[in-house]
Amino acid sequence: MGNLYSLGGNMKKIISIFFALFLSLTFATNVFAAKHPITGETLAADQTFTYWALDEHSSIDPQIVEDVSGSDIIRDLFEGLLNQDADGNLVPGVAESWSANDSKDVYTFNLRKNAKWSNGDAVTAHDFVYAWQRAVDPATASPYSWFMDIMSIKNGGEAISGDVPPSDLGVKALDDYTFQVELTASLPYFAAMTTHATTFPTHKATIEKYGSDWTKPGNMVSNGAYALTEHVINERLVRERNPLYWNNENTILEKVVALVIPDENQGLTRYLAGELDKGPVPSGQFKKLKAEYPDEATSFPRLCNYYYTFNLSDSGIDAFQDVRVRKAMAYAIDRNVITEDILQAGQIPAYTFTPGATAGFDVPKVAFGKMTQAERDSKAIELMEAAGYGKDNPLSFTMIYNTSEGHKKIATVMAQMWKQKLGINATMENMEWKTFLDIRSKQDFEIARGAWCGDYNEASTFLDLLTTPSGYNDGKYSNAAVDQLMTEAKTLNDASSNYTTIERILASEMPVIPIYHYAGVFMLNTQLKGWPYGNVEQNWYSRNFYKVAD
Amino acid sequence: MIKFTLKRLSIAIPTILILIIISFLLMYSAPGGPFTSERPLPEQVLKNINAKYGLDQPMYKQMFNYVKSIVTEFDFGPSFRYKDRSVNDIIAQGFPVTLKYGTWSFIIAVLFGVSLGIIAAIKQNTFLDYFAVGFSISAQVLPNFVMAPILVLIFTLYLGWLPGGGWEGGKIQFVIMPVIALSTSYLASIARLTRSSMLEVLNSNFIRTARSKGLPKYKIILSHALKPTLLPVISYLGPAFVGMITGSVVIDMFFSTGGIGLHFVNGALNRDYSTIMGITILVGCLTITFNLLVDILYAWIDPKIRYDS
Amino acid sequence: MIVLKDKISKLSTNLSQIDEIKGRSLWHDAKIRFLKNKAALISLITLLLVLLFSFIGSVFAVWSNEEIDWSVLGDISTMGYPSFKTGHYFGTDELGRDLYSRVIQGTKISLMVGIIGALIAVIVGTIYGAVAGYFGGKIDSIMMRIVDILMSIPYMFVLILLLVIFGRSIFMLFVGIGLVSWLDMARIVRGQTLSIKKKEYVEAAITIGVSHFTIIRRHIIPNLLGVVAVYATLLVPGMILTESFISFLGLGVQEPNTSWGALISEGAGTMRYGTLWQLLFPLFFFVVTLFSLFFIGDGLRDALDPKDR
Repeated sequence: MGNLYSLGGNMKKIISIFFALFLSLTFATNVFAAKHPITGETLAADQTFTYWALDEHSSIDPQIVEDVSGSDIIRDLFEGLLNQDADGNLVPGVAESWSANDSKDVYTFNLRKNAKWSNGDAVTAHDFVYAWQRAVDPATASPYSWFMDIMSIKNGGEAISGDVPPSDLGVKALDDYTFQVELTASLPYFAAMTTHATTFPTHKATIEKYGSDWTKPGNMVSNGAYALTEHVINERLVRERNPLYWNNENTILEKVVALVIPDENQGLTRYLAGELDKGPVPSGQFKKLKAEYPDEATSFPRLCNYYYTFNLSDSGIDAFQDVRVRKAMAYAIDRNVITEDILQAGQIPAYTFTPGATAGFDVPKVAFGKMTQAERDSKAIELMEAAGYGKDNPLSFTMIYNTSEGHKKIATVMAQMWKQKLGINATMENMEWKTFLDIRSKQDFEIARGAWCGDYNEASTFLDLLTTPSGYNDGKYSNAAVDQLMTEAKTLNDASSNYTTIERILASEMPVIPIYHYAGVFMLNTQLKGWPYGNVEQNWYSRNFYKVAD
Repeated sequence: MIKFTLKRLSIAIPTILILIIISFLLMYSAPGGPFTSERPLPEQVLKNINAKYGLDQPMYKQMFNYVKSIVTEFDFGPSFRYKDRSVNDIIAQGFPVTLKYGTWSFIIAVLFGVSLGIIAAIKQNTFLDYFAVGFSISAQVLPNFVMAPILVLIFTLYLGWLPGGGWEGGKIQFVIMPVIALSTSYLASIARLTRSSMLEVLNSNFIRTARSKGLPKYKIILSHALKPTLLPVISYLGPAFVGMITGSVVIDMFFSTGGIGLHFVNGALNRDYSTIMGITILVGCLTITFNLLVDILYAWIDPKIRYDS
Repeated sequence: MIVLKDKISKLSTNLSQIDEIKGRSLWHDAKIRFLKNKAALISLITLLLVLLFSFIGSVFAVWSNEEIDWSVLGDISTMGYPSFKTGHYFGTDELGRDLYSRVIQGTKISLMVGIIGALIAVIVGTIYGAVAGYFGGKIDSIMMRIVDILMSIPYMFVLILLLVIFGRSIFMLFVGIGLVSWLDMARIVRGQTLSIKKKEYVEAAITIGVSHFTIIRRHIIPNLLGVVAVYATLLVPGMILTESFISFLGLGVQEPNTSWGALISEGAGTMRYGTLWQLLFPLFFFVVTLFSLFFIGDGLRDALDPKDR
């Protein structure tokens, strides 16, 4: 170096120019030569994936996160025991292999020895023990600690209530690379639950050093394919390739950027301007975008339903106690108008509470689902008259929904259908979200909007909602037969016939009006490959993506 | 004046305390809480969270602890919504953003607004007047939630000159559109207030006297008319400046600037009590400061003004 | 001495009688001058036409403001355009509802919001500001600190609480708007009053013992009217747009009813998707009204300027 410094200014300049030239040449040739190792596609020079987020995530602390956008980020920054592949199947993560005892209440995970934290420390079973204990620790106060409870881990619930110390949780490191969990009950799908962010490992020394500041860029130590490099609340979060990740050589994307754009139309404009690789489809625009950008506009069924619930408790109105009124109102809704004319993005008209896409669930052909809309309409009028309501004795009530362009449209159309077909005067009332939730949970309404997304791919995640003890049953529907069938379903290997029976009961009692089942929609740059369309939970990992050249 | 300033500053502390008390009462009586969600949390989990954030204590105690930690440690507490971040972080990240685009908007609005207003008044009922008035009205008729998407369509999608949003530390190309969208409506108000005030001053006796003495017009305007003209404008500018530097939810939403304008509205919708309190106190302090400054400016403009009764 | 006192009191009665006469002639003169102002007069007529349209326009409507035209629903951009044939003179909104009827109905709400908001601002703001500025000292200090606090408290919580406690109604919408609309006005008026009260004629009136109330009524307020008129017209657009935000929180106008603010923001959201008429029609009425208000405000200012007498 001494020699170089003794050179004249000009010489230094020439050398540096030469150097720069040399570097850029090698870089350029590398890039142009870059091919995908398996498919052989030519890769784009810029391997940055920029995606749209409607809202700032609530947290990127694995044990604390509760929202989808936060979990998406955490799956890049951290790696748990197991991952999901593009079809939602389990694949090894930090655990190379796992096994359960015969009664399926003790699970043992064998961790890979080459997994490293972004500071170079090895990822060991002790890190998982720490993280899992941290998740149930009342001092952490994780809003998702209940997840550890439903995982049936021994002493999970007790630790959350503070009855036993977190260290009594049924997890232990048999050695540095063997992690064992003891359950209170047999749980065949336990392993699948370890793909959830709450169970991801965290780095004890970092958390103890920085406290709640540990998730800031610069402080954070993580074990995923990417490391956090920048975070501005409500603006952006950037994560870049973590060279210490055990499978780094197979990572192609260099950088992932989440941009928070709280307005969908603005998000679409910026997608079309090329600022985003993944952008939103504003409500009602899918059909047109699909026509204009057939390869980019994407729609797929999701495990979510959309419904209106009657208030069947004592505070509700008497008219809704009459099953004929409830049925008439459900029949009079032309769901095809809602899905095809308003939403227009592949949503499915719903005649059952549980979406048809749910695994192991046969959509029962409930009677009113089979009718034509004209038949339903005449039946509705008949039922309404039988109940004593008509043009001269109109039914009046207030329907509540939370403020949103989409909910407003659906409520408006529903109110008009009721008015024109049944002479019903429905007063629409929107409220901001928290007021709405408060009012709905206190049964201070007549009929209210509701929606539910499945926690897992099984019908009970939906149908539990309509059982008497459910904390989410805002309409206070109560039917002993439904409760009985649901309790029974938990012990059955194949409960699908129970679920079908329940749906039939629901169709005949109509405690809620199912409207439609959701579709996920987004715009995706055609250069970006590897999106897991087949994964119904839409758990994606950026390290599986790559961008091909134009 | 120094005595007056000191006196006003001493009233500022009880004023802020009253502001804190009222805001606390308002927030806590609003339906729902920070942890109300579509899926109600299990009781035990909610209990743990409430204990962590001190929400299990009686309100007077929470208020006392809150004020105490501000006074002793300048700590505004953790955000209830962004659980990894403190309110200090949120304001430290968001306030510089709005301060920057707000200050620029203010400068532009005042410079253009005052000049347009003066020109319009001097050239009353001429083409220049109509142009100035027409321009300032046109600037105001497009609400900023219409202006913002139009700007992005033109400059980002069609021309490709400017990024459609973001902030990236406040590089110039990210600041331009927010400043245009924010400054225009203020600009119009300032221009119109200036114009009408100037007309009033030009008609007053002392200007007539000055004119009858044969002083040149520009001299009359600069040395006699300008100061009294600005009096009502300055009353408007105090709160307007605070409004601009504490950001606009529309700007933060459409341009994804990450400023505290959006935090304030989101904070209220999410019932993020601590963020709301932090920003409220910031706004309160700024309001008090700038209204005091306005009062001092009054006395400078019109030395006859006295604040004792 | 007694004689002198007598004389003074006589003089003051005389003075206040003169004032009385002048007071009447002020309004009379103002009317004449206002009617001579062409721009202001045309604007007044335009505004009345808008008002008229909101009352009799519905006679020509084919559709009501809530009826959905099922035949265009689902394909608004190609089927819902403005047309006499379909009876949708202004086209339809995103849900196939007649925009003509919706604009008429929205005009009623928005004009009402603008007028009532401005009235509250003018009446409450002027009196409050004049009293604070005139009495000065402790009274001023307390009154203005109350304004500072009201300017800083999280307004959204006030609105949310109004909704929860009183339920939604058009009346509560006006309460919500009235709560904030007068604050800036009070500050501006108070600033002007501080200056006016040091004018010779006010000081003279004080010396001869005219009551405070009379001085405020006879001398302070007439001299404020110019700036009040201009500022009131500046406030109106802001309030018309604030309405849509208040309705967003659940207070105020609810579907199927609408307002300019709601229509414009819906139209702005979809302006790129081939349904530009959804933005242009409501925006046109908004813009025309604003222009009219500006010129009316200016006309009023010129007409009310006491120095032009």
